[in-house]
Amino acid sequence: MTDKAEKYQRVAYYPGCALEGTGHAYNRSTKAVGKKLGLDLVEVDNWNCCGAMEVKNVDPKIQTYLSSRVMSIAANEMDMDVVMAPCNGCYHNLKKAEYDLTNDDQSVAVVDKLSKKAGHKTYESGQVETIHALDWIKDAIGEDGLRERVKNSLSGLKVANYYGCMYTRPRHIFPEKDQGNGSESTSKPHFMDDLLAAAGAENVDFPLKTACCGGAHTLSDSDTSTKLVLNILRAAKLSGADVIATECPTCHSGLEMHQIRAEKKFGEKVDVKILYFTQLLGMALGLKPRKVGVHENISKSMPLLKEKGIA
Amino acid sequence: MPIHEKSLIRPEDLHTHDELVIDGVDVSGHWSTFIESRVVSDYNEALQDEIEALPGGEYIHRCWQCGSCTNSCTVNAINPDFNPRYWIYLIRMGMESELLRDKDIIWQCVSCNKCTYACPRDVFPEGVMKATAHWLERKGHTSTSPSTHFDTVFTEQIVATGKIEESRTIRRFFQRTKQSLMQDWMIEMVKKMVSGLPVGLLARMGLATLVAPKTKDWSRASAAIQEYIDEQHEKQGEALDLVKLARQTGDTKAA
Repeated sequence: MTDKAEKYQRVAYYPGCALEGTGHAYNRSTKAVGKKLGLDLVEVDNWNCCGAMEVKNVDPKIQTYLSSRVMSIAANEMDMDVVMAPCNGCYHNLKKAEYDLTNDDQSVAVVDKLSKKAGHKTYESGQVETIHALDWIKDAIGEDGLRERVKNSLSGLKVANYYGCMYTRPRHIFPEKDQGNGSESTSKPHFMDDLLAAAGAENVDFPLKTACCGGAHTLSDSDTSTKLVLNILRAAKLSGADVIATECPTCHSGLEMHQIRAEKKFGEKVDVKILYFTQLLGMALGLKPRKVGVHENISKSMPLLKEKGIA
Repeated sequence: MPIHEKSLIRPEDLHTHDELVIDGVDVSGHWSTFIESRVVSDYNEALQDEIEALPGGEYIHRCWQCGSCTNSCTVNAINPDFNPRYWIYLIRMGMESELLRDKDIIWQCVSCNKCTYACPRDVFPEGVMKATAHWLERKGHTSTSPSTHFDTVFTEQIVATGKIEESRTIRRFFQRTKQSLMQDWMIEMVKKMVSGLPVGLLARMGLATLVAPKTKDWSRASAAIQEYIDEQHEKQGEALDLVKLARQTGDTKAA
């Protein structure tokens, strides 16, 4: 077992707000997959919101503070050295806070002042490593490990892997990416492709992997978001995909919501199903669709999964 | 996608005179079409400093106008008038009246950070877009955008409870922007969402809308965050000279 694989066997789990609401199926399937793979998730005690995409527009340093509090609890109160966040927004903000607290003295000073006033230890950069659910499975189990454990291959299922914006941009907050040797790429991410391929899926050549779904303005500028989502749905369909695999609750609910909105507002129906990658992996590992929350999705994929012999 | 630029000749700057004689020569009609001169004289020398005083705008001075931001822009691809490079140019030149022509679309930046990724000078154009949108609002050039309403509703809930309960945020946003929640697509979506859910989960979600999830012992963090936000807001107001602006316009809200 590599050092990383060993380190990731037991990680602090930061679900974040969306995974307790619209992204509940992602929460459920992530936990189920972890359990099935024998990986230990310890939820961060009494966590708070990371600031999502909104707080930085009110004040970026407050966003840094909010994210630092989560990491401080994991490091100082739980003695953990890895925080795993399945939500792109949470993952991105913790990474951004880590970057700012390493490189910007002003951010360090503000976070220290606020942490003291709030009555908890100040997070210091380097205390924890923040990883995404993709890093977690990729490094703790790996493709070979997955292949050995697959009971119900996804073969015959054509998948477009959609990563969205916050998993790769801006690149400076992800110093471990673009390092060669199988590291993640910020221009053409492939970790989700790798994992689903190991589970037997057929990944299609999908050009809009890191396109924007308009998630930040999903309600405040809905027409723009619907147009952006339509681009993604159309491209997936044209690439021959049955399913778009997602790894972010905001992207996932954005795709589901604007798929319906596009039909209602613009009269355009694009029939492609949307599933979290953890739902697909879970079913490949032999979990029942209900165990990974397929019934909770707005996009109804059971008929397709039955047809493909997966459900 | 090529960089879309505005036409330098605007329809309102073209003048045709039905009857016009110049130096004894009759140039009536088509032959008298003139283009209004575009000499700019009303520079706002403070414009770049003001944008730099707002969060996100700090590095605008680094821009060397390569256009990578506009070229990579998600919103530009669906609206060619959305042009970050051009706005950065106008701000650096102090051409405020030109910038104001686009005041109603600048807030539409979706924060995808493709520009930040593409920028060779670390200008952080995404931040500049946010700073510019906030500048427009705080100077009173635009009303509060739906995006700012959403950010405010969202942040208020975090300051109050430490966490977000989505249905509460959505309801408050629709209230504050005076929209009905009963949109046909929203109803359709909720129907589809509810149809597959077991009773237990529905009950749990219903409960969350009644009793907001909270971070325990949040009050000290809440007070510290609010104090910091207020402090910064005031500092930015000073940098934007809003007190003076309020005195001039008699509008006390701007300060």
